[in-house]
Amino acid sequence: MQYTLRVYRYDPESGQPGRLVDYTVELEKGATVLDALGEIKAHQDGSLVYRRSCRSGICGSCAMKINGFNRLACETQVESLGRKPIHVEPLPGFKPIKDLVVDLEPFWNNLHRTLPWLINPNPPPTDKERPQSPEEFAWLEMPMTCILCASCTSSCPSFWADRTYLGPAALNKAFRYEFDTRDQGFGQRRDTLDNRHGLWRCHTIMNCNDCCPKHIRITEEISWLKRKVVEEKY
Amino acid sequence: MERGIGSGGAFAWFFQRISGAVLVLALLLHFWVLHYSNQGEVTFEIVAQRLATPVWKTIDLTFLVLAVIHGFWGFLMIVRDYVHSKNMRLFLVAAVWTVGLVIAVMGALTIIGFHPPLPVAPPEQLGGMVQ
Repeated sequence: MQYTLRVYRYDPESGQPGRLVDYTVELEKGATVLDALGEIKAHQDGSLVYRRSCRSGICGSCAMKINGFNRLACETQVESLGRKPIHVEPLPGFKPIKDLVVDLEPFWNNLHRTLPWLINPNPPPTDKERPQSPEEFAWLEMPMTCILCASCTSSCPSFWADRTYLGPAALNKAFRYEFDTRDQGFGQRRDTLDNRHGLWRCHTIMNCNDCCPKHIRITEEISWLKRKVVEEKY
Repeated sequence: MERGIGSGGAFAWFFQRISGAVLVLALLLHFWVLHYSNQGEVTFEIVAQRLATPVWKTIDLTFLVLAVIHGFWGFLMIVRDYVHSKNMRLFLVAAVWTVGLVIAVMGALTIIGFHPPLPVAPPEQLGGMVQ
C-alpha cells in the first residue's frame, strides 16, 4: 500500500531553515515508520539522516515526533496512524543537528547530574551480593525498563522552558536509585533534586507518561521523590 | 548549579499542597454558610451580623491569607518558568509581590475594620432629615 510521509529536512550547511518534504513509499502490511524511512533513504534520497540501531524498541535511538507525538519509529506501525500524510519530525526541545537528528547533550548532562548509579559506601554483607526481597525489587521494575529514548524529556513543557531542568528521564533514574533499598546516595543527590531546576520544576503535566514507549508512570515517580524530599526536610 | 534566593522549593511545594487542601474546605464552608445554612433571604443585616463576629473574622482572614499566598505563589511559578529576561522577570516578580501585598492589606483592613452599621430607620421615622 502507498503512504505519504511528510518528513522534516534540515541541513545546517545550506543555511536554509528546516522544511517538510513529502515522500510517497510503497509499504507492506505491518511496516513501521522506521521501515518507511529506510525505504526513503535506500531508494529516494540517501541524504536523509536519522538515528536507529536495534529496530525493535530496545535501544531508544529512533524516538521522533510522529504525527505530533513522541514515539519510537520502530514501534509505530504506519497503518495505526490516523493523520495522512504522516508527519515525521525530530524530537522537540532539543537543538536539531540534521534532519531528524537532535543534539541530546543536555539530556545526557542532566542524566549524569542525578548520579544514576548505586551509591553505598558499605561492603555487601555476604561479600557477593546485596540481597533484596521481591517486594523491594517491585519498586524498581518499572523505572528499570527505561531505554533513555528521550521522548519524555522532549515532550515536557517545563523542559522546553528551562533546559537546565533535570527532566522526566533523569528523574526516573533518580527514582530508580532513591527507592532502591540498597542505595544510600540521598545525601549526594538531594541538592540536585531539591532545586528549582530539579523536582519542583515538574508541574505534573503528564506528557511524559503519555508518550513513554515503555509505559513508565514517570509523573507518579516524581511525586514519590517530592514526597521523599519533603518528608526528609519536615 | 544555580543556588541562592528561591533555590530549593520543597517548602513552597508543600505549602501549596496544604493551602490548596485548606482552601477547598474553606470554599465549601463559604458556599454552605452563604447559600444553604440560612433558609431565609440573604440580607445585608444577616451578612453584617455574621461578619462582625471574631470567629468569622478569623475564618475570613485565614481564607484571605491562604488564597493570596496560594494564588500569587502560582503567578511567581509561572514567571519563573516562562520569563527568561532578567529585567522583565525582576519587574514581574516585583509586580506580583506588590499586587499581592496590596490585596492582602486591603482585604485584612476590610475584614478587621468591619463593624455592623446602626440599624437603618425607615424614611418616615426620619422626618424632615431625608428629602
